[in-house]
Amino acid sequence: MSRIATLLRASPVRLALGLVALFAVVSVASLTASYTASRSSLDATMRRDLTQDIAGFRAAPSAAALAALVTAEARVTDPNRMVLSYVTAQGQRFGNGVLAQDQDGYFLTEINDPDTRIDGQYLALTTPLRGGQLTVARSRAEIDQLWRVFRNIVLLSLLPTLTIALGAALILARRAAGQVRVLGNTLDQLTTGNLSARVNPTPRWSDDFHRIGARIDRMASAQQASVDALRQVSSDVAHDLKTPIQRISVHLDELSGMPLPPDATALVDQATAEIAGVVSVFHALLQIAQIEAGTPKSRFAPVDLVPLVQTFAELYDPTAGESGRTLDLQIETETAVVLGDRDLLGQILANLMENALRHTDDGTPITIGLRRDGAIVALSVADRGPGIPAGERDKVLQRLYRLDRSRATPGSGLGLSLVSVIADLHDARLTLADNDPGLVVTLRFASV
Amino acid sequence: MLHGNMMKILVVEDDRTTGQYITRGLREEGHTVDLVENGRDGLVQATGSDHDVMIVDWMLPEIDGLTLVKSLRGAGNRTPVLFLTAMGSVDDRIAGLNAGADDYLVKPFAFGELSARINALGRRPRVMAQETVLRAGDLTMDLVTRDVVRAGQKLDLLPREFAILEHLLRRKGRIQTRTMLLENVWGISFDPQTNVVETHISRLRAKVDKPFATDLIKTVRGAGYRIEA
Repeated sequence: MSRIATLLRASPVRLALGLVALFAVVSVASLTASYTASRSSLDATMRRDLTQDIAGFRAAPSAAALAALVTAEARVTDPNRMVLSYVTAQGQRFGNGVLAQDQDGYFLTEINDPDTRIDGQYLALTTPLRGGQLTVARSRAEIDQLWRVFRNIVLLSLLPTLTIALGAALILARRAAGQVRVLGNTLDQLTTGNLSARVNPTPRWSDDFHRIGARIDRMASAQQASVDALRQVSSDVAHDLKTPIQRISVHLDELSGMPLPPDATALVDQATAEIAGVVSVFHALLQIAQIEAGTPKSRFAPVDLVPLVQTFAELYDPTAGESGRTLDLQIETETAVVLGDRDLLGQILANLMENALRHTDDGTPITIGLRRDGAIVALSVADRGPGIPAGERDKVLQRLYRLDRSRATPGSGLGLSLVSVIADLHDARLTLADNDPGLVVTLRFASV
Repeated sequence: MLHGNMMKILVVEDDRTTGQYITRGLREEGHTVDLVENGRDGLVQATGSDHDVMIVDWMLPEIDGLTLVKSLRGAGNRTPVLFLTAMGSVDDRIAGLNAGADDYLVKPFAFGELSARINALGRRPRVMAQETVLRAGDLTMDLVTRDVVRAGQKLDLLPREFAILEHLLRRKGRIQTRTMLLENVWGISFDPQTNVVETHISRLRAKVDKPFATDLIKTVRGAGYRIEA
């Protein structure tokens, strides 16, 4: 039912329905006009004939002669075609039918004589003649016939035309609807990261949709090419930088295996730690670049955040405990299923936990909250640290931005940027707010 | 550190420093190593002789690592493959595993990590369905009653501590790195920056080792943890 409703709303059907209605109205109007003209012309002819008929009888010199003439004429006249009636002053009736009449002039009547019952209307003309009333009535069957002719014209020409036009419109609309659906699906896939989606319009497509489809395909190809190029660049950069980093790690590892003076050992350890820092920044940047270059959401699957949050809380619990922090888990929902990538969602939790552990004092609590509010799943990590000044909350989501006071603490300055990029990929809303005191980071996902 | 089980390993790595480092380390462990420097030679070597494990770099001249592994798998070669890559994103990991690689290591890596993963690949844990009690030294773990007893004394372990200990016991004699523990015990396939695994291990040790004379869980510097066979 709704499919038909959708089809009826489609523009080709609306256009066709409009044209069909207009065609029908114009046809009916012109047929009506011709019918009216033909009818009044027939009517006029009939009146003229009636006047001539009456004139023929005026020649009779007396009532008796008139009666004889009427009787003679009536005998050879088919009452279906014409009825002659003469009623004398004495009430005697002559003719081939009885017509009751009170008035003179033209009138429409029917033959209601029980003996000669004839269907259809007659146009009659009555005139007083030789003391009696002479009436001549001609059947209007011809005019009725005209009505039938016009009705048949309507039925036999207009209705098939309308039916064919409507059917063709529905078929065209279905085809157009199919093409619109293909266009829509392709656009949906392209916007959700499947850059290999194409419309591939066939030559059977209508010209305008074919042009739109071909343009979408050209646009998608260009986009895919630039994303591929970007991926190739980051992959080349990764390879060209990671190979020397790998060599440095190898050399440092070899050095650490040699007998070295204590100072040199300390330097090797320091260099190893620095390399680890470089790798972690580089890795985070690569990950951000790759997600932004388009991670296919086609891989997304339903992920229940409840067990995921429990796993991460449990994973970080001893680390938090070591520094006297308590890790509170406030899960206020049975399930919190969102569409996403489990590893990337876990990365969010890890980064938020690392952030909270890094930027708050020992002994302060960290709270992980998970609740469902209608169609929204809200995941939050709250701490009692120094928080982030309101003016800088947007900036910490930028690459490599560090608050002045946290320059001395370890970390790449990319943790929250990565969280923000992953949140975007999942269409989740990321907010940083004042926990009064402290920071509360909340991600709101659409629940599945 | 010599392992009882020597393996024949094929290394396909175009960077000479890295390739020789891997080769030297694995030979020191007692393995037989063939090193080739491009994908074409790698494919020829892999199809020509039977290796126990292959280490394949992603970016290789002539034939890249992904294509190499796909071709091998397409030809029915089931030799376990450890993939080395400069990239570390989820996409790349999935692409590597989909191509048929069994494990995945992001550069730069420490030799200890590589060695532990190679040993895990070459000797995949046998399915021991009937085995319901795991033992190491004077410790027994009953997998049915979930009782852990050491030197006659019952240990009270949290579920995750039990899982870590079970994982180490099932792989007695083999090093388990932090990332391997994260993957297998927690199901997490990336490396957090803080020492989360270390703190779990030290909690476990406080119960399993601290009250007793000898330590069961050994730390292997720069690599991971191991329970001696």
